[in-house]
Amino acid sequence: MPPAADRGLAIIAALPSLTALLRHRAAVQPDDRAYVALSDRGQEDSTVTFAELDRRAMALARQIAHRAFPGERALLLFPMGIECLVAFFGCLYAGVIAVPMMVPRRQTARDASTSILADCGPRLVLTTAELLSGARGDLTGRFQHAGLEWLAVDAPGEEDDATNPPLPEASREDIAFLQYTSGSTSAPKGVMVSHGNLLANLEMIRIACGNTRASTYVSWVPLYHDMGLILNALQALYVGALCVLLPALAFLQRPYLWLRAIHDYRAEVAGGPNFAFDLCVDRQRPEQLAGIDLSCWKLAFVGAEPVRAATIERFTASFRPYGFDPQAMWPGYGMAEATLLISGGDRGEGPVVRDVSRAGLLRHEAVPPRENTDAQPAVGCGRALAEEEIAIVDPETGTRLGPDRVGEIWASGPNVAQGYWQNAEATEATFHAQIAGEIDRQWLRTGDLGFLDEAGELFITGRIKDVIIIRGANHYPQDIEDTVQSSHPTMRRHAGAAFTIADEAKGEQLVVVQEVERTERHRIEPARLTAHIREAIVLEHDIVPYEIALLRPGALPKTTSGKIQRARARQLWLTGALERL
Amino acid sequence: MPLANATESDIRDWCIEYLRKTVDNPSIAIGPDARFAELGLDSATSAYFIVELEEWLGAELRPELVFEYPTIAALAHFIADGQGGVADAAGG
Repeated sequence: MPPAADRGLAIIAALPSLTALLRHRAAVQPDDRAYVALSDRGQEDSTVTFAELDRRAMALARQIAHRAFPGERALLLFPMGIECLVAFFGCLYAGVIAVPMMVPRRQTARDASTSILADCGPRLVLTTAELLSGARGDLTGRFQHAGLEWLAVDAPGEEDDATNPPLPEASREDIAFLQYTSGSTSAPKGVMVSHGNLLANLEMIRIACGNTRASTYVSWVPLYHDMGLILNALQALYVGALCVLLPALAFLQRPYLWLRAIHDYRAEVAGGPNFAFDLCVDRQRPEQLAGIDLSCWKLAFVGAEPVRAATIERFTASFRPYGFDPQAMWPGYGMAEATLLISGGDRGEGPVVRDVSRAGLLRHEAVPPRENTDAQPAVGCGRALAEEEIAIVDPETGTRLGPDRVGEIWASGPNVAQGYWQNAEATEATFHAQIAGEIDRQWLRTGDLGFLDEAGELFITGRIKDVIIIRGANHYPQDIEDTVQSSHPTMRRHAGAAFTIADEAKGEQLVVVQEVERTERHRIEPARLTAHIREAIVLEHDIVPYEIALLRPGALPKTTSGKIQRARARQLWLTGALERL
Repeated sequence: MPLANATESDIRDWCIEYLRKTVDNPSIAIGPDARFAELGLDSATSAYFIVELEEWLGAELRPELVFEYPTIAALAHFIADGQGGVADAAGG
């Protein structure tokens, strides 16, 4: 590696904050494009250089500083685009904690935004002029909070008072932003990510992915999602590469736009949740892909939800003729509580897939299958990153388990976040775990199950936490159960369960079972009731249930204190033993 | 096969046929007055439904139409009424 690059890496490694990183980029490559935003149809819409981004972020920071003190919170409500990143860095420059959020869907009556608002008590909402006064006038009504002020970052500003409050200099310990991907609608949990966490994880990602200034990114993953913000947008900035942004809707409607952009910009890095790769295969049409050369694509990261061997095979088979290198496929694993990435392989290694015994997994062991029907493919998600350790731990006893033993995945390193915002209990339980007999270290409990093989490759096999992951997004069973029970008076309260099952072809699927009253007043056709429940789930959660089962009163297993036993309900459903209506 | 001058009932029939294949669940009845969410169309499926409908019609359609006119009957009526435009698609 040439000495100049070494010096560059040394400077980066010594940076005290993410804002110092941006200033560095603006100084060494001021006129290089940092971000290009594409329109809904995949056309170049706007662009910003590193110097411009820095200037715009500083200008916004002064406006923010007039309205909020360092340490206060600002919600970020943005469509995919450059404004979101200007707002993010504007907050960081002002020392205000950024809270990126999805713009609530119009048709959702209740969603996490209200409870996130209550949890973090923001001073500001940063958004675009268009969202504020145009298309989504309903938003200000949704976000009611004492003293909350709205600021459109792209509106021609009223002149603020000439005295500019001094901007604080951020340090590694300072919280940069809150990630609200964990926790239910009613009880959200904001992961506190510090500048130090971000710089550490970005460095880990750089090393694992082998990223350089030439590693152009094309990303459609929303910036309010940790993968979109950190693995894509911030990592590109970290290495000084161009990041091209495509709206998620554009990708969902026309997946070939993503592939076309990878070709056009000769991108090295592009990826997404598992479903994105299936979508590219399902929607492919030769006339739309004519002339596309994907040989530039060196790292196709896949994560945010369980990675499926079948998906990797199909995608590779479909796109190899267009120059896609199978070795580019890069499964990874992580979560917001670890800033983003916990494990990943080296660039160009290709995926590791092992057949393991289904029966063995039920015994919490990874062993070779006895025969074909016993075989289940397990996709490796890489190894622990630089300066990080991964342990497999018995969730009951807290003892460390050896290779090929299945247990809970624990992680420790400078990427493990500071905890949950104002939630000491959850923070203690999740972030301060100790392995039996090892007192010198604190660990993050991921709630996921898996094993490490002899080579240190991590395989995910399941989870103990009660979360449902669909299209890379977290959903909570209690939220879905609540939606079902609120949808119609015949639904018995606290007598339903939402869980997932693994469909061979489609992967993780949502199943909802619900006890129904049978009273004279509420005589209603089961088909209508089922349609009603389906509509409520689609509107509230944007998930399509695989199956909805209406049950007789008392059909669901309960504990002695009357709580529904979800895991047991799932078992009964799988064996067809639940008493239907 | 794009249709230059699709009538309201042409559009309705196309939508029913398309959704029958997409939803692929015999226990769900695809009727003109069933709401898309009831049929199990989430935002991703709706987005693609609009794209396919656009291509068949030969006219650009806003993705939000699925939420503003949430049944096959309402959507078909809106489009046929000319407000959606059954003119040639503008350059992307």
